[in-house]
Amino acid sequence: MNKHFQGIIMSKLGIVSYGSYIPKYRISIEEIAKVWDDDPNEIISQLQVFSKSVPGPDEDVATMSVEAARNTISRWKGNPQDIGAIYVGSESHPYAVKPTATIVAAAIDAEKELTAADLEFACKAGTAGMQMCFGLVKSEMIKFGLAIGSDDSQAKPRDPLEYTAGAGSAAFLIGKERVVAELEGTYSITTDTPDFWRREGAVFPSHGNRFTGQPAYFQHTVDASKGLMEKLGTKPSDYNHVTFHQPNTKFPLTVAKMLGFTAEQIDNSLICKNIGNAYSASSMLGLAHILNNSNSGDRIFMTSYGSGAGSDAFSFSITDEIEELKSYPLTVEYYVNNKEEINYGKYSRYKGILRC
Amino acid sequence: MEPPKIWRERRGKYLVLGILCQDCKKKSFPITQYCPHCSSENIAELKLAQTGKILHFTRVSQTAEELMFYAPYIIGLVELDDGIKVTGQITDTKLEDLTEGMKVRMVFRTLSKNGEEGLIGYGFKFVLI
Ligand SMILES: [Zn+2]
Repeated sequence: MNKHFQGIIMSKLGIVSYGSYIPKYRISIEEIAKVWDDDPNEIISQLQVFSKSVPGPDEDVATMSVEAARNTISRWKGNPQDIGAIYVGSESHPYAVKPTATIVAAAIDAEKELTAADLEFACKAGTAGMQMCFGLVKSEMIKFGLAIGSDDSQAKPRDPLEYTAGAGSAAFLIGKERVVAELEGTYSITTDTPDFWRREGAVFPSHGNRFTGQPAYFQHTVDASKGLMEKLGTKPSDYNHVTFHQPNTKFPLTVAKMLGFTAEQIDNSLICKNIGNAYSASSMLGLAHILNNSNSGDRIFMTSYGSGAGSDAFSFSITDEIEELKSYPLTVEYYVNNKEEINYGKYSRYKGILRC
Repeated sequence: MEPPKIWRERRGKYLVLGILCQDCKKKSFPITQYCPHCSSENIAELKLAQTGKILHFTRVSQTAEELMFYAPYIIGLVELDDGIKVTGQITDTKLEDLTEGMKVRMVFRTLSKNGEEGLIGYGFKFVLI
């Protein structure tokens, strides 16, 4: 591709490293259904989710962000002082005022010459952070940028969301040196669509029930995905893997089919079955899992979705630098399998629903 | 915890830093202004090993008000791979699952919460590998 520029090194822009984190505790759909006398088989067949992740009592969005960030840095083996921006996307930051990104910066020893901020755009704030980092790195305002998606989402007891509101985090280090996944393009869709919201000071979010599907998740995901492929002149069959936002397992499978992706292409991203909806981390954990299972030359497509509403689509091409990062032990797969089931009582206590 | 204390101790608690004495070459934890072995002030910051093994552990049921949310919890004495001994909570586990000598890894967790409106204290704990 760079034949015409012999002697000139065309520097790549893309993902330099990645890291993830999923809390250890799980509650099964069956255990939640038992409390509300729902039929677990009906719910499992509707959502294709079997359990969801639950943070321990000493975990929050800041601690999960730090774990994902530290895994990113350790996998990379670079100097955290070279990171010029940290963005943490979440809808469940531990403080309303006091940025999670500042805690992350201190905990990975990236203080103090950097810019940082917390972002909120429902489940796509993390991918918005990735786009900001791509822009800053490309314009050479910073050398490396760290974008994190992290959530510990609340669901009102008995709300349908209670079955899927999970937790987790994923981080991507963006830069131009030793790129493992080169950015081929990114494209976004944003509209004012009131499908899901939480007012300032409210503990639990509200949603428009069935309205969250067709005009919200599907329309935005399809429009952003089609828009990017049109811009790049690519088609679904050009990609080895694809990841979408995973509010349950059925939605990404359906949208993949609508766009013309096969079950095989999306299969590696579907972590929702075991951990539920990780909100801001959802499509990003899918991407981290795919990266660890990809090879040089593979092409990867990702489209996030955030209620309110919008979608960010990305196209990546894997380089041979990927091999070096794949052996890092704390992978998405490690965290998915490192689990302990808890009952609804323990779940209520850990989530702060039960208080003494 | 009060803001100045959280701010002052954050590097030590977040990054788990000790000191390496430039005179007697001995390592120690936590950060102090002079070497606990030879009293030298000629010291350098030292990043400690992130993994180690459990030497002793015990369960804490009664504790300070700001820690009761987490109780009961397990406190352990851990010998890090670089030989430094550190006391910290062992989290994501139960007393019956622990034995001396088990390998642990450092993680970042909340240590305290000052009510519903106060600051959250963060720092290191250990989990089983
Ligand atoms: Zn000394």
